[in-house]
Amino acid sequence: MDAVDVSEHYEVTAADNSPSLLSIVLDTNPRAWAALDSSLSLAQAISNILVFVNAHLAFSNANQVAVIAAHVNRAVWLYPALQRTPSSTAPTKDSSGDVQMQDASSEANPPPPPSANKYPQFAQIESSVFSSLQTLMAETTVQDLDQLTTQLSGALTLALCRINKAAQALSSSDTTLSNAAPVNATAPPPVKGRIVVISVSDSDPSQYIPTMNAVFAAAHNQVAIDTIALAGDSTFLQQACFNTNGIFLKAANPRGLLTYLMFGLIPDTEARASLITPTHDTVDFRTACFCHGRVVDTGYVCSVCLSIFCSPPENAECLTCGTVLALGNYGAKPAVLPRKKKKKKKIANGSGREETGSATGTPRP
Amino acid sequence: MSINPALSLAEYLERLPGTTFKKLYQQPSTTFAIFRRMLPHLAKTFVMRMLFLPHPMTLADLDAWVKPEAKRKKDQSLSILRSLHIVQISAPSKEKPQEIQLMSNFKKSLRLALTGGGNHNSFGVPSSLMVPPEIDLPFLDRYARKKWEDVLHFVVSSVGYKSSLGEGSGPNKGVKELLIAGQLVDRRPNGSLGITQAGFTFLLQEANAQVWTLLLLWLEVLGNNKSSGLDPVDMLSFLFMLASLELGRAYDTNALTEERRNMLPSLVDFGLIYIPQHKRSMFFPTRLATTLTSGGNSLRTISEGVAAATQSAQTAQQSLGLLGGGGTGEQAGSVVIETNYRLYAYTQSALQIAVLALFAKLNMRFPDMVAGRLSRASIRQAINFGITADQIISYLSAHAHEQMHRTAALTNKPVLPPTVVDQIRLWQLENERMKTTSGFLFRDFTDDKDYLDTARFSEEIGVLVWRNDNTRMFFANKHEQIKDFLKTRKRAE
Repeated sequence: MDAVDVSEHYEVTAADNSPSLLSIVLDTNPRAWAALDSSLSLAQAISNILVFVNAHLAFSNANQVAVIAAHVNRAVWLYPALQRTPSSTAPTKDSSGDVQMQDASSEANPPPPPSANKYPQFAQIESSVFSSLQTLMAETTVQDLDQLTTQLSGALTLALCRINKAAQALSSSDTTLSNAAPVNATAPPPVKGRIVVISVSDSDPSQYIPTMNAVFAAAHNQVAIDTIALAGDSTFLQQACFNTNGIFLKAANPRGLLTYLMFGLIPDTEARASLITPTHDTVDFRTACFCHGRVVDTGYVCSVCLSIFCSPPENAECLTCGTVLALGNYGAKPAVLPRKKKKKKKIANGSGREETGSATGTPRP
Repeated sequence: MSINPALSLAEYLERLPGTTFKKLYQQPSTTFAIFRRMLPHLAKTFVMRMLFLPHPMTLADLDAWVKPEAKRKKDQSLSILRSLHIVQISAPSKEKPQEIQLMSNFKKSLRLALTGGGNHNSFGVPSSLMVPPEIDLPFLDRYARKKWEDVLHFVVSSVGYKSSLGEGSGPNKGVKELLIAGQLVDRRPNGSLGITQAGFTFLLQEANAQVWTLLLLWLEVLGNNKSSGLDPVDMLSFLFMLASLELGRAYDTNALTEERRNMLPSLVDFGLIYIPQHKRSMFFPTRLATTLTSGGNSLRTISEGVAAATQSAQTAQQSLGLLGGGGTGEQAGSVVIETNYRLYAYTQSALQIAVLALFAKLNMRFPDMVAGRLSRASIRQAINFGITADQIISYLSAHAHEQMHRTAALTNKPVLPPTVVDQIRLWQLENERMKTTSGFLFRDFTDDKDYLDTARFSEEIGVLVWRNDNTRMFFANKHEQIKDFLKTRKRAE
């Protein structure tokens, strides 16, 4: 009775169990998968990924998932699939110009035969992913295969849009989301968004700028980008993971994809707060130049707009902002100047104080 | 709280013996539901990481996963995993380090649930018959909401506020008896029914927890009644299966066992399933059933808001109403409370008004709003009904109007005015100066180290209520794991 408690009880809020949104970006580069076929075929990889998706959905029935294929020339939704209306070829657009997306449950094509041995949502995702992927493969022409690399930035952007849209839908419908978190700049976002990239091909230098734009947008929204690289040299994804506090895993043995996924990538951003996550030992921080798209170690940087060039641009004029740059004598050996000798101040009378003649020191500001 | 016959699901499960869990975990759907509903987030992560490991791993490895500052969280997760018989930890011995692994039944079933193989039919056999066209999602939502509101009305209409509905429109006789048997309402000397403290706690829970409370009461009543021939384990397993069914799809009753078919009429009474009049061989799970595994114990969980948000606007409206705190059948945030104790509620729901009338003096009623104020007398009256100040405050905070949240967020202040919150507590403290916790006192330790270790352990697993280091005594509200701890300590010596 004596102790009337002070202030801890004012905030009677509900427990924090905000949903976790997972977007999976699957690199579907046909050449890369063909090269990888001996150790892990695409079909096996998909079934492993589906188990991972199911595991993520098992955490809570508020969790959501999206699967996007990053193909050689475009990014395609695998789940949720675009609604294909038989009457009109163009997908319906809502007032804001967005294409209406449908979860597989309301899809127009016939639903899969329901099985009593499978959780219904899992079955929907599986059928949607498989059918979309088949369509994608069927639509891939021989000309498309001339492209060697994957359009990763588009897929990343789609994934970010999806997370952003879901986050907005949640925060506008449910007020507890906004008040559960204290209002300040470092407050956690209302939803825990995360992107998992399954990469099999090299990073395309020409995609450097769009990829990094997506990465910075993700970092701004506190969306983590995780990568599991089965093959190839994914320079930019290493930087993406580093910038967004994500996990970068290099799968030495692609056959064990499920183990990598279930062990390394199952914790979402909430669980990571209390777990020790795999760290990057080395991050490839090299960038691509703006003029030719080459990956460079050392380059020239415009002093006004910070554009990077692999060689001095024509007329010493920045290609991005047009500033005329004066190029110093680059490449010349810097003159080595002997270091100036510092004179040691002699200390007059033991103490370092100036002589003032009084017992107390001079008051200083 | 002195009386609390309404157990939570966690407490109910914890009391079950290990063999029961073995049986429960044979069904992938049950395993899946327990995983989803009962475990804290970190524990889920542990389970998922261990799920596909071929061999047991050492406990030291598990420690290495976790950051040092999250040790307490880890210990609590492990303690829950053990109490639900999900993991098995080998006894400590000199020659081998302690190892941890998932129970084989649990592992097998969860793997099946995720990969979708096997032939266990535990996710329900869909009916092959034609579905009547009038049964769609809004229909099922309306139906479930009506059934559930009847139950709530019955509980709440027993005090203060007279329900506008007649006697005949209440829930079924069986449900009424169940509510009385569960002491959610009790018979007053004058023959009328009155709400109990447990009943009020029940009202203030979110719909999901309410459903579980009622179902557990039901399981208990049937479990005590041997002649019913129903096995509580099988029933529980069936409930978990219902939770994993798909909303709006018809399922075949003929695929169910005889016992489970016998449960269906009661489930219809609760509003968990719907059986069409002319097609008795199919049943539809309602939203009450399919959301059984969602959410935790909070008053209003975000996950439900999410589920609603992803649906179309119309169904979202209804499910919000259905799942809003206290099952009020109204948009959840509707109550404004001011620092001068005035209270305004934008609601038309007779139920919510009735709940408010329990602890506030309502003096104005408009078509879409009621106004009143909290006073010492009204709070005292509520406390005499057995409602605690904490319950009132959590009700108010769960139902606070959006405007309250906005102002609070802008000014960086608590949602409810602190003066009001404090005053409600003080009014309660006027005549209630003690709080009882049932539990166990540990004393007479042989030496200080013994005492400190045990006390620290009980603190880590979160059962410690009080300790006094000088007299070497501590008080815990559960003792099973401390007993195990003491045993293993003794063995290790």
